[in-house]
Amino acid sequence: MADQHHSKSDSHGGHDAAPKLTDSIRLSGADLSLSKTAFAVGVVGIGGAIALGGGLFGKQFQHSYLTAFMWALSITLGALFWVTLQHLVNARWSIVVRRLGEFLAQGVVLLALLAIPLLIPVLQHNDTLFRWLNHDTIHGISSKTAYLNPSFFLGRMVFYFAYFALMATFWLKKSREQEKGGGEELTRSLQGKAAPAMIVFALSVTFCAIDFLMTLDPMWFSTIFGVYYFSTCVLTFHSVLALFAMWLQKKGHLTSAITTEHYHDIGKMMFAFTAFWTYIGFSQFMLIWYANIPEETAWFRDRLEGNWLSATLVLAAAHFVIPFFGMMSREIKRNKTTLGFWAVWILVICWFDMYWLVAPNLHKGGMAIGLVDILAWVGVAGLLLGFVLSKAKDTNLIPTGDPRLGRSLTFQNI
Amino acid sequence: MSDSEKPLATETPLYGLIAEYDNPTALVHAARKVRDAGFRRWDTYTPFPIHGIEKDMGIRMTRLPWLVLGFALTGMAVATYFQYWTNSVDYRWIISGKPFWSWPANVPIIFEMTILFSAFAAIGGMLFLNNLPLPAHPLDLKERFRRVTDDKFFLVIEASDPKFDERDTRGLLAATNPVVLDDVLEDRVTSDRIPAPLIYTLVILGAVSLIPFAFIAKARAAKTTEGRVHVVWDMDFTPAYKAQEGNPLFGDQRSMRTPPEGTVALGQLHDDEHLYTGKVGDEWASSFPESLALSEATMERGKQQFGIYCTPCHGQLGDGNGIVHQRASKLKQGWVPPSDLHQTYIKEQPAGQIFGAITNGVRNMPAYGPQISAEDRWAIVLYLRALQKSQSASVNDLTDAERAQLQ
Amino acid sequence: MNTRVSITNPYNGPLEGDNAFAQITHNVSRIMEAPRPPLAWYIAFAFALGLLGVFGLSLGIVVWEGIGAWGHVHPVAWGFPIVNFVFWVGIGHAGTLISAILFLLRQNWRTAINRFAEAMTIFAVVCAAVFPGVHIGRPWLPYWMFPIPNQMGMWPQFRSPLEWDVFAVGTYATVSVLFWYMGMIPDFATFRDRSTSTVRRFVYGLVAMGWRGSSRQWHRYERAYLLLASLATPLVLSVHSVVSFDFATSQLPGWHTTIFPPYFVAGAIFGGFAMVVVLAVPAREFFGLKKIITLKHLELMAKVILATGMIVGYAYAMEMFVAWYSGSIYEQFAFLNRAFGNYAWSYWTMIFCNVLAPQVFWFKKLRTNVWVILIVGIIVNVGMWFERFVIICTSLTRDFLPANWGAFIPSAVDYATLAGSFGLFFTLFLLFCRYLPMVAMAEVKAFIPESHVHDH
Repeated sequence: MADQHHSKSDSHGGHDAAPKLTDSIRLSGADLSLSKTAFAVGVVGIGGAIALGGGLFGKQFQHSYLTAFMWALSITLGALFWVTLQHLVNARWSIVVRRLGEFLAQGVVLLALLAIPLLIPVLQHNDTLFRWLNHDTIHGISSKTAYLNPSFFLGRMVFYFAYFALMATFWLKKSREQEKGGGEELTRSLQGKAAPAMIVFALSVTFCAIDFLMTLDPMWFSTIFGVYYFSTCVLTFHSVLALFAMWLQKKGHLTSAITTEHYHDIGKMMFAFTAFWTYIGFSQFMLIWYANIPEETAWFRDRLEGNWLSATLVLAAAHFVIPFFGMMSREIKRNKTTLGFWAVWILVICWFDMYWLVAPNLHKGGMAIGLVDILAWVGVAGLLLGFVLSKAKDTNLIPTGDPRLGRSLTFQNI
Repeated sequence: MSDSEKPLATETPLYGLIAEYDNPTALVHAARKVRDAGFRRWDTYTPFPIHGIEKDMGIRMTRLPWLVLGFALTGMAVATYFQYWTNSVDYRWIISGKPFWSWPANVPIIFEMTILFSAFAAIGGMLFLNNLPLPAHPLDLKERFRRVTDDKFFLVIEASDPKFDERDTRGLLAATNPVVLDDVLEDRVTSDRIPAPLIYTLVILGAVSLIPFAFIAKARAAKTTEGRVHVVWDMDFTPAYKAQEGNPLFGDQRSMRTPPEGTVALGQLHDDEHLYTGKVGDEWASSFPESLALSEATMERGKQQFGIYCTPCHGQLGDGNGIVHQRASKLKQGWVPPSDLHQTYIKEQPAGQIFGAITNGVRNMPAYGPQISAEDRWAIVLYLRALQKSQSASVNDLTDAERAQLQ
Repeated sequence: MNTRVSITNPYNGPLEGDNAFAQITHNVSRIMEAPRPPLAWYIAFAFALGLLGVFGLSLGIVVWEGIGAWGHVHPVAWGFPIVNFVFWVGIGHAGTLISAILFLLRQNWRTAINRFAEAMTIFAVVCAAVFPGVHIGRPWLPYWMFPIPNQMGMWPQFRSPLEWDVFAVGTYATVSVLFWYMGMIPDFATFRDRSTSTVRRFVYGLVAMGWRGSSRQWHRYERAYLLLASLATPLVLSVHSVVSFDFATSQLPGWHTTIFPPYFVAGAIFGGFAMVVVLAVPAREFFGLKKIITLKHLELMAKVILATGMIVGYAYAMEMFVAWYSGSIYEQFAFLNRAFGNYAWSYWTMIFCNVLAPQVFWFKKLRTNVWVILIVGIIVNVGMWFERFVIICTSLTRDFLPANWGAFIPSAVDYATLAGSFGLFFTLFLLFCRYLPMVAMAEVKAFIPESHVHDH
């Protein structure tokens, strides 16, 4: 790649002059060393968590691991959703960062493997994590066995992850094919494929969230639950996207391709989905609180008693009030430092949200975040980071073959 | 060009200079030059907003968002406090078991008020900061300027700008190649006075709008014996007589009539003493009434009715440990516990007496006669008999076949 | 201008003006400036006025006789009026959606349709507001719902979802009108400056408030527009969510489900867009706006209808699944009853209209055919009406206790009120088409290639 800086056109429309991209668009060997470090951290983290959390099938480890797993999964599913959406709506602004989304979506292949420790107990009818596996302890579960039985559950899991992995692989492959030519026509055909892909994806995410999180309390049900998890996916993904882009630019890649305008748009999505998460979360809470039907309120009761009440209040404040007012201003979304701060904030609070969904299953009486939770989180995050970076090896960091790249490079907010 | 300028023109002071362009690019280029020349009192006029012209003209970001934020917070605070004060301080009122201060139920209105206040601030603030409405302006006298809302672009530098110099400024604008460059004179044509018809209309409308308030004020101050206005008569006054109302048609003037002696309502003759009172003569009947079929179906019916009416206190087993009892004993407020129906004295009571207890109540237990039909009460007694037996059954009660099965 | 009585369409002439901006101005302004509208407008207006008369008459009967004139029976106390209310409020969502959400998403194609979608919003909200207003039984006492204490010093019940509705719909109507009006200010100025008669010049001048297109004013105007769009977006979501709370906060099976808020919003967007295409197809035909509202725009709206239709389908599926999964016999019965009970025909009508019919838009040939778009738009509107009917009537007629079961049979007045509300809607809409700027001229101009500033 040539080293000279390209001069960006000052045009407002952006479609008349396609500027030439002259940034560095490949990761260097030095950058990739982070991948190895991350893998090492991941292995150490998970190992520590297993050791301290009562073994691979220990109650504490399984819960901590599920929390970390769902958090990491939300990033990759958010990436899958976003990449599909960009094809579906023929988006132009996002082309410069689309490849980053495609890399992040690759993480779902790793997560399919990481799901195995959670699924082996299901195979063994061991109710460490999923209480519905033990029919004796739960009154009324027998009416649900058509859905909650190990073989159907595992079958669904195989389907979800096979489908997610297929989608992730497909989008990256086609995106790389764009670079070999076929531009306009290939791009149009991808738009056509995105629509059905999105439909199956929507149902898969919903049921994946129901299976992993909602069935932890097998008697509880909420029709909005899939949407709730989806909002987390979008939030964590955009936060990681912003941080990923910042890291690349710091390492000297895509320095002129990704501009303040793109960060601004990513920031707007983070802001909007902070509000969306609140909308969904509040709707779920308020409707259940208002109608006050015992089988539904029990779930919230677990989260409102003892110090769980403080946890819930912290969640409301740190997941909504603080970031909402914090990210409101345009300048904050256009400044890398502040945007980076809020991206980290959102990633942390989304982990806490997952913890809030999972842990009351284990610690009914009171919240207790321990070292195992943190180690499992660091471990899964490390493995995901290492895996995603290794996937970025020998691949352009930007879809140079996309016919809409020029528009994205010169994109400006109103 | 100068069709609307009157002969006075020579005495009218100069308002500024106007330059016309026929495309946005020419206007923006001119604007940059004027900005760089350091003018302050100048403006461009366009049929649509030109993106990025703020930078070319040196317009600073408006403070409008801050105004809107301020109003949003005000709306939020007002709605929160108002709901709190009205529903949990000023007039407390329990509804659907919710606390007086039920914040989740107040969020929707808080949200709506936040948006409403902000929207008023956004539009009101925009109009206020833009100095609108502005009925007259010197530019209105320029016939060509009317196309500013159609397809032409204008740049105006006011003569009041400290940097304004008629010759130099004209030169500066001429160098930007305008389609037309012209003087704008101060408006000495449009009257500053508000048109008389407008004043009269406003005064009359104002006076008329006060009339309803005058009526309300009068109503509040005056006393009347007439009562309120009944808009829909038959909703306020039903033609039927109400329970305690007088009725001139009858000698005793009551509208409620007692039925004549010996009246029996349809289906309430109840001449089967055994079935309806549980007694034969003065004694409790020891058998079930003949009209009652002692069948499996009756037993099932009895089980269901027992489940509905008796189990809350007496429990599924009839041992007096129902959920009401459990709850009441926890509260420790002088609760008389329900009887264990397996006590010997109850077991030994004749069927009629148990029927009587259900019908008329015992101690704290209320009478269920009005709620459960006589047949169902007997069915309950039948079921209770079975229940009593079940709790003290012995091997001897089983048939031989069953005994064999058990072994 | 031609002043003789003409039965030909006065808007089919060639475009005047020597540049793209002037052509847009002319294309839109001639609708208002023509001495008389096309014959189709008169026919439609006469029809709409007739229906409006029916509306007035049927509401008169209801006010005079009491709401027993409608088919309300125990246990269905919320019959047609609430179905119609939710239906119209739903229609009223697309306008603000197109104006606000598509604006934030930089979908510039919206400029062709946003103005009359906004108008549609306001008229639909007017129609919607009539129903609860009359349904309260004593429509001369609506102020009991307002936050003023009554003669006992008692305040309205702010913990009630019905009271939230008053605030939500009231705020929505106010903000929509403000948004609509603010958007029209520059276009009123155009009308003012083109007027030849003093009366028009005065009236349009009054509403234009002295707008002269100053860039300093445009700057604040655009900022205010952006702020209003950012405010209106959550507002749109909240309004139909609050409407859904009317049902979802209850314990009635089929009403109480947590997905209601987003599901109602998606349904509203779906129905609203369908109504936009139903209005846009004839409007572009009769008022010569084919160059501004192009087939491309209709195709994009067809895609939005398809997408939101899928979301609505998702909600139907989730409701069904969770009703079964919940293990609650009441929930299970409620949904079986929907699909196979007395009102199964309305359920399957809804499924056909809302889920199956829009599937034709997968095919480019069909979604670029105005007739197909128009027909599917009408079908979707029918389906969305039935959706509310299904929710309200099937759930109310079969609640927990069989003793409390009943049937709902609408009366003739019910049908007349429903039909009449369309009269009110179309009357207002036709007047709007004739006298107000039907397309946001300034916004359309800002997005044509000629508006770009070129740097050398």
